[in-house]
Amino acid sequence: MKARPIDGLDPDGPLVAAARLIVRVRTDELCDLVTPALDPSAAAAQHDLRIAAKRLRYLLELTEFCFGPYAAVARGHAKHLQTLLGDVHDCDVLLARMHGTAAPDPGIQQLIDRYTARRVVAYDAFRHAWTAIEGEAFRNRLLAALDEPPAGRPNLSV
Amino acid sequence: MAKARKLKQLRPDDPYRRAAQAVVAVRAKEVFKRADGVLDTTDVERVHAMRVATRRLRAALEAFAPCFPKKPYRRILQDVKKLADALGERRDCDVQLASLEGLEDLADREALAAQTLTARLRDEQLAANVVLSKALDRAKRGHLRRRLKRLVS
Repeated sequence: MKARPIDGLDPDGPLVAAARLIVRVRTDELCDLVTPALDPSAAAAQHDLRIAAKRLRYLLELTEFCFGPYAAVARGHAKHLQTLLGDVHDCDVLLARMHGTAAPDPGIQQLIDRYTARRVVAYDAFRHAWTAIEGEAFRNRLLAALDEPPAGRPNLSV
Repeated sequence: MAKARKLKQLRPDDPYRRAAQAVVAVRAKEVFKRADGVLDTTDVERVHAMRVATRRLRAALEAFAPCFPKKPYRRILQDVKKLADALGERRDCDVQLASLEGLEDLADREALAAQTLTARLRDEQLAANVVLSKALDRAKRGHLRRRLKRLVS
């Protein structure tokens, strides 16, 4: 999934201005990808959301010190989503392998059943986590944090 | 999980370009620091650590793209992606193997099926290791480390 391009970045401007622009775009990217990923069977959408969560996480690792405290919280949420969706993805990869075996047998079918059940648990964990994150107004709070001063936190130690 | 290394003090009002140089320099160093022993399939955490470091470097390069001259930047990003892909291919095998080998309470047929899949994955892991070895070699012969240093100087 290609990252959205970002216009208006000024290499000679302050870091915080550039970071603000980029984090806004990556936050919107992530939030726009959630709805399709909430379909339990939408493996491709869940994969895209995982990539978006990863991008936002690594971006906030570099830039959260420029913003209000919620930026660090948001980084934790992005990391958590990445991990949970990673668990879903790991099941998908193995299931694809098992479904692709030339001569399926009862043993493979038992493994398919096992990993399908495991995937349901992994998806439910992701769904539960997103409900909690959304419930605390993740997007609005992160975007608000971009306009807040860093409030006495140390400068970048990433 | 490999932790990101601490950077010297950067401030929000520092020039974007200066932050770019500082961050990419540190992230690049972390990648090459983790190259030792990645081909050792008995210690899969090494590949994982280098892969995470490469992801962080790539994220930094992408975040600071406008701060670097286009042509060398694009080539470097492409080479970092190739390295990341090779690390990812090896890591994917490691993760699948760990999952299958961690299964418990398997019925006989299920255990046999898991063994067959595991054997196949071991072969793929070896093949992915060859690809990774070539990618590491390409990065070395292409002076990726030196080009990254030049990019941030």
